[in-house]
Amino acid sequence: MSEAAIADPAAQSRSEVDFERLYRSSRDDVYAYAAGLLRDQAAAEDVTAAAFERAYRKRSRFDANRGSARAWLFGIARNAALDELRRRGRQAELSTDPVDAASVPAPDRDRDELRLLLDTALARLEGPERELVALKFFAGLSNGEIADVVGISASNVGTRLNRTMDKLREACDGAP
Amino acid sequence: MERPNDHSDLATALAETRPVASEAFTRKLDKRVAAGFPRRSRRSRDPLSLIRDHLLVSGPGRLLFAGGGVVLVAIAVATVIFVGSSDTEQTSSGGLLNEVSRFSGSSESAESQPQPSEPPTAGTGKAAPQYESSIPQHESEAAPSRAASAGSVNGPASTSGRAHRDIERSAEIGLLADPADVADDSAAVFSAVHDAHGIVLRSTTTSGKRAGANFDLLIPSAQLGDALAAFSAIDEVRTRHEATEDITAPTVNISEELRDSRARIDGLLAQLAAAETETEMDVIEAELARERRHAASLRAQLDKLEQRTDFSRVSVKIETGQSSTDSGGAWGISDAFGDAGHILGIAAGVTLIGLAVIAPLALIALLAWLAHRTWIRTQRKRALRDA
Repeated sequence: MSEAAIADPAAQSRSEVDFERLYRSSRDDVYAYAAGLLRDQAAAEDVTAAAFERAYRKRSRFDANRGSARAWLFGIARNAALDELRRRGRQAELSTDPVDAASVPAPDRDRDELRLLLDTALARLEGPERELVALKFFAGLSNGEIADVVGISASNVGTRLNRTMDKLREACDGAP
Repeated sequence: MERPNDHSDLATALAETRPVASEAFTRKLDKRVAAGFPRRSRRSRDPLSLIRDHLLVSGPGRLLFAGGGVVLVAIAVATVIFVGSSDTEQTSSGGLLNEVSRFSGSSESAESQPQPSEPPTAGTGKAAPQYESSIPQHESEAAPSRAASAGSVNGPASTSGRAHRDIERSAEIGLLADPADVADDSAAVFSAVHDAHGIVLRSTTTSGKRAGANFDLLIPSAQLGDALAAFSAIDEVRTRHEATEDITAPTVNISEELRDSRARIDGLLAQLAAAETETEMDVIEAELARERRHAASLRAQLDKLEQRTDFSRVSVKIETGQSSTDSGGAWGISDAFGDAGHILGIAAGVTLIGLAVIAPLALIALLAWLAHRTWIRTQRKRALRDA
């Protein structure tokens, strides 16, 4: 906890409220990003927990002038996810984890088929491309936030996303 | 199931099928967040991981602040220690034996131009001996002069089981005087040297605004204590150093060489007496002359060593300047400025030395950190590319 927070209960409260708000608004997005990138449910949970813990410990170092809180959080999550990939030292395989029944609201055959189709198509993408898709469509980040997280320009993000979507659509068409 | 046809359909499909965390996981994570991510028991964690976590959490500004504080405290402690030791050295007025032989290296040049107030009793050169005149016996000649010398705790030199040591002593004394008293103090120094039967090797006296005097003296070692006491009584003592050097080993070596040389001369004399032909006598005489020159050289070296033990080199320096007792013993504002400047100077020196040590280490650490960071980034990029 920061010294200011210790000295000033109001500052402490603000700090906790900010983190709490960030957590509530980003928890599912961080998990979706990690799961989309790693394609491993257990690893995604570990990465999500590690990312929020790191963010909590380093929350006093957040600088709003350098970007939004979400971009900062996803930068931490990205490092945690890439560290997980490094640790595994192998190419992530197509998820074979059993689908969590609790995460599926209702039996929907069409949706399951669509999910399988997209999983197959995503598996054909390269890591950086799959990461862009995960950040954009799973985590819901804007191009500007993705640019902050990945370290490239927003226009470059748009170009790459467009190219990746073309590739993904072709992969969907080519899927059995 | 309809396959997505365009980017819009695909985006919608991706958003609809995004991975969703299990409720068990979200509940568990919610609890951890609410509890503020409690750490594992510190007992079960190794110290290195604790330090790593602490460094990870602490920002660079905090680390810099803490490091600066540690360095500041280190400089303060070093300065206090240095000032303390410096004061002890400056205010000591006797009995402090420093292993500083400031004069031992220049004894040869100093002896080349003596101005004796009274001729030395030892170390005078001996005439080259003739055929039948015996070479002076080192032990028998050296003994009387040495016996009178307190500086050399010595008796006859022997090859083995030498019970005494030949000690060369030197001293340096700094006096603080008023400019008007320099002449009188100089005269007092000459008087004290005379009383101690010493020799003034060199003296310099300056009058006027930068008045002062320097004396390089040879004082019989037996009189050194009295002479130093006399010098100290002349004026306020500012500094006083005494040093000793053991020159037993070179003395013994040269004594043995001289004894061998004498034995060879005796042998040659015997051969000369038994020689029958003129040629044979010429050869032996030539060899005899060489050996006598060698013996004379050794004798001279031994004399010099004896002189170094019989006479102590003393440097007396009379300086003028602000005395610590000029203001009646009261410590004033000028003294405070002087002390502050002194301490600041020492602190600056300690800081400079510290920086000289720390800067390369910090540079290496910085380079290592940058290299590690670059390596991590490269590894992450590679992991993403391979994913």
